[in-house]
Amino acid sequence: MTSLIELTAVTRTFGAFVALADITLSLPPGRIGLLGPNGAGKSTLLKLLMGLLTPTSGTGRVLDEQLGGDRDSAGNWRLRRLIGFMPEADALVPGLTGVEYVSLAGELYGLPRREAQRRAHEVLSYLELEEARYRRVEEYSAGMKQRVKLAQAVVHDPPVLLLDEPTSGLDPAGRDAMLRLIKALAIDHGKSVLLSTHLLADVEAVCERVVILAGGRVRGQGTVRELCARRQNRYRIRVQGELDRFRQELTAAGATVLSDDGHGEWRLAVPSGWANLTFFQLAHTTGALIRALIPDDETLEELFLRTVGV
Amino acid sequence: MPPADTSLAANAPSGAEGARRAPLPSPTAAPPPTPDPPLLLFEQVSKWYGTVLALNQVTLELTGGITGLVGANGAGKSTLLRMANGQLKPTLGRVTIRGLDAWDWRARRRVGYCPDLDAFYEDLSGRQFVWTLARLCGYTRAEATERTERVLERVGMRERANRTLRGYSKGMRQRIKLAQALLHDPELLILDEPLSGIDPIGRQELLELFQQLASQGKCLLISSHELEALEKLTNHVAIMARGRIAAVGTLRQIRDLLEDYPLSVRIDVDQPRELARAVLALAEVQAVSLASGDTPGLVVQARHPKRFFQAFGRLVVEQHVEVHRVEPLDESAHAILGYLLGGSGRT
Amino acid sequence: MTNQPPNTDTMPAQTDTLLRYRPWRGTPHGPLFATLAMARVSLRLLLRRRLMWGLFALGLLVFFFFFYAQYLMVWIETQLRTETVRFAGVPVTIDNLTRFLKRLALDGSVHTFGNFIWFQGYVLVIALALAGSVLVGNDFYYGSLPFYLAKPIGRWHYILGKCLAIGGLMTLLVTFPAILLWIEAGLLYDWKSYYFDNFDLLVGIVGYSLVLLVTLSLLVVATAVWLRRTVPLVLVWMGVFVYPQLLSTLLVDGLNFPDEWRLIDLWNNLYLCGLWCLQADPATIRPPGQPEFWQAGLVVAGVCAASLLYLRRRVQAVEIVT
Repeated sequence: MTSLIELTAVTRTFGAFVALADITLSLPPGRIGLLGPNGAGKSTLLKLLMGLLTPTSGTGRVLDEQLGGDRDSAGNWRLRRLIGFMPEADALVPGLTGVEYVSLAGELYGLPRREAQRRAHEVLSYLELEEARYRRVEEYSAGMKQRVKLAQAVVHDPPVLLLDEPTSGLDPAGRDAMLRLIKALAIDHGKSVLLSTHLLADVEAVCERVVILAGGRVRGQGTVRELCARRQNRYRIRVQGELDRFRQELTAAGATVLSDDGHGEWRLAVPSGWANLTFFQLAHTTGALIRALIPDDETLEELFLRTVGV
Repeated sequence: MPPADTSLAANAPSGAEGARRAPLPSPTAAPPPTPDPPLLLFEQVSKWYGTVLALNQVTLELTGGITGLVGANGAGKSTLLRMANGQLKPTLGRVTIRGLDAWDWRARRRVGYCPDLDAFYEDLSGRQFVWTLARLCGYTRAEATERTERVLERVGMRERANRTLRGYSKGMRQRIKLAQALLHDPELLILDEPLSGIDPIGRQELLELFQQLASQGKCLLISSHELEALEKLTNHVAIMARGRIAAVGTLRQIRDLLEDYPLSVRIDVDQPRELARAVLALAEVQAVSLASGDTPGLVVQARHPKRFFQAFGRLVVEQHVEVHRVEPLDESAHAILGYLLGGSGRT
Repeated sequence: MTNQPPNTDTMPAQTDTLLRYRPWRGTPHGPLFATLAMARVSLRLLLRRRLMWGLFALGLLVFFFFFYAQYLMVWIETQLRTETVRFAGVPVTIDNLTRFLKRLALDGSVHTFGNFIWFQGYVLVIALALAGSVLVGNDFYYGSLPFYLAKPIGRWHYILGKCLAIGGLMTLLVTFPAILLWIEAGLLYDWKSYYFDNFDLLVGIVGYSLVLLVTLSLLVVATAVWLRRTVPLVLVWMGVFVYPQLLSTLLVDGLNFPDEWRLIDLWNNLYLCGLWCLQADPATIRPPGQPEFWQAGLVVAGVCAASLLYLRRRVQAVEIVT
């Protein structure tokens, strides 16, 4: 199985400013999250992958196409046809209806005219915009606008999708719908997805792997499970009732309360060999009520903050 | 802390009965000693734009702390915030800030507003922009300069505020907006989508800033779609849907009121089927299913959460079960919003 | 505490089972095909605007005027030879009627078409300002550029597509009607000799249109890229066409400056280039005192080159990802 993206010591400078330094990535096909603070070089990396910029040094490959060719060459067209890009910006053409917009996108990707129109209708139905497809795109709601942008990225059936903040401006219901659609496209239809976003919850919901960029360098890459540390002896607990007595008993039994938010949500460290049954026994005797008990593994956010060096 | 007060208005026959109504003074008896009027009070406020109904009998009261305002797009959140700000007048009802009408200039002095859209003069620097707004507030030049510096220090922009606004990132713009909202030391801060488009580090810093502001006694009303971040900040939310306040209170209280939806709890144990038999014997349990995923466990649907957890605790102790995880799956703001809005997920 | 991401595993995929997504396999076309598609869609977008319909109506009015006036010129002489026309009891001579029409040189000669395109130019200029803001200005203002440039096309394909759309507009307003006038002239005079003798007039019309097309489309795209909104675009456009014309008339005809000062008027330069294509005799150009053909051609070429250089600098594909 060819890897999706291979970058070897890729550097990109703009005059004296180094946007990307010595990036080496090897990513298999699948769902990948691209994370990083502002100014980390995420947008430069995306432009490189799409062939809009060439590396100052180093080589790279997306599926079968090499990066770094002449900007207007046939190789570059092939590269961009492999990729469906959903921009963060508005990127709509006001005055066109939904179908016209997506079929224009199809024709720009090189589909023959009738094929593009047919695909536009199909893709819009799949993305739940069937009733709205004859309305003008500037009249769409925020959720519909994002979905029509996804439609124009998918119209030519690319193997790779590059999504830049796909859930920006969406309310929680819209966000769920968008993430569900992206996951369905990736899992059911075998597309690889590179998701660039600030919302770590999106990455947790959709992606198997993450790449963390900061300061132009790769600070971490791998599956979420590999990267997030497993903390064997840490728990988060939510309790109600006789909190002070319960806390005393816990500390006496050997557990340490690491943080307390004042409303009964605690983080604990327990000694090795601890049985969770002890929690319940102590709660029972002191009259506290345990409403949740969750192993406190590192969350993606904690991983991010740790990796980026804050 | 805000009052531990809950209401579910969706089932009330005549619309939102609301959290609390201001008591009407009886004309003949001696007036009782009036407590400080609430910081923000919406009294049965409705607002029309032509025939479009934006707010429908909204009643809301804030006295302090951080309150989250959540809801779908088009539910009326921005309208509500602009009314609290004094930019819009209600068609029916009253909006008051400490007893004064919200559009009165004395009331506006107590309110700071951080809008969601940028409306900057892009050629000014951040410092100049904030200084200009300070002068617009009515401060003298010297005082405006001093306040500008103080407020820029507060939001962490003191070193970076000399570049023109055109080159600012989203996070920096949000901080400048926050700075101008803090210029006149308002008691009430209204923030419309302050966290959109900000990277996780910036988000963390802003959340800490909000907590600091709240601990200094300011009241914050934050409207946001980022429910996970809001939950870290506060427990107290107001949920809006279709121009009405659907529910106000802490998340737990709202969840407890949603009696139609039993609580889903995930329980990870080594021998799920045995525990399932025991759990089904409990009266509060409605359904048990075996959990999918790598680790073995159960998903239990239970009514009366408090009684269920008590019974479950007893069960664990009696039968010496080693439980690896107990996690309620739909107590988050996200799940509650989904239930309240019917959960179809279409926008 | 339970900061759970949305649980997408348990959500039903509603439409997937009924309307499955189908893959697409086929050979894609190259970027020039995309350019044609873009031109076609842009033209359609333009023709949806009501203001454009108004301008087309105006252009049609100009065309009809020339069309019937040409017809009138042929028949009026024969009519008045046999009868006298009276207006409020006063007999009117042929000269009075035809003096105005003769100034427009409506006899199927070079200047018929030159004058038609000159007058149609007034409508064309306004239509171009609108086209520029709708086609290009909107792209920059509403951020549609990432949509185009993320596709497998280069920035020159994008510019070519827009120029072709504007060229289509100009063909509808200028070239087509001019050719119709040529056909009509032939039908009015002896068509066998007219078409053969004046075939080079047809070539000249096409040439004039091409000069207009290339120069004006590049200029309008460059100006629209610079000023995205309609009102500034219209103001600058007036600044390029209307004011220099007034100024050059004032300077050369009024204050007797040398003829080269007429070169500041871009429309006049285009007119001269067109007359060169139509192979007009320089002595017959009115008003008299015009610069040389090659000088006008040089200015026009300079304007094209400036537009191209500006576009090369300004339309950068790298701007599409912020």
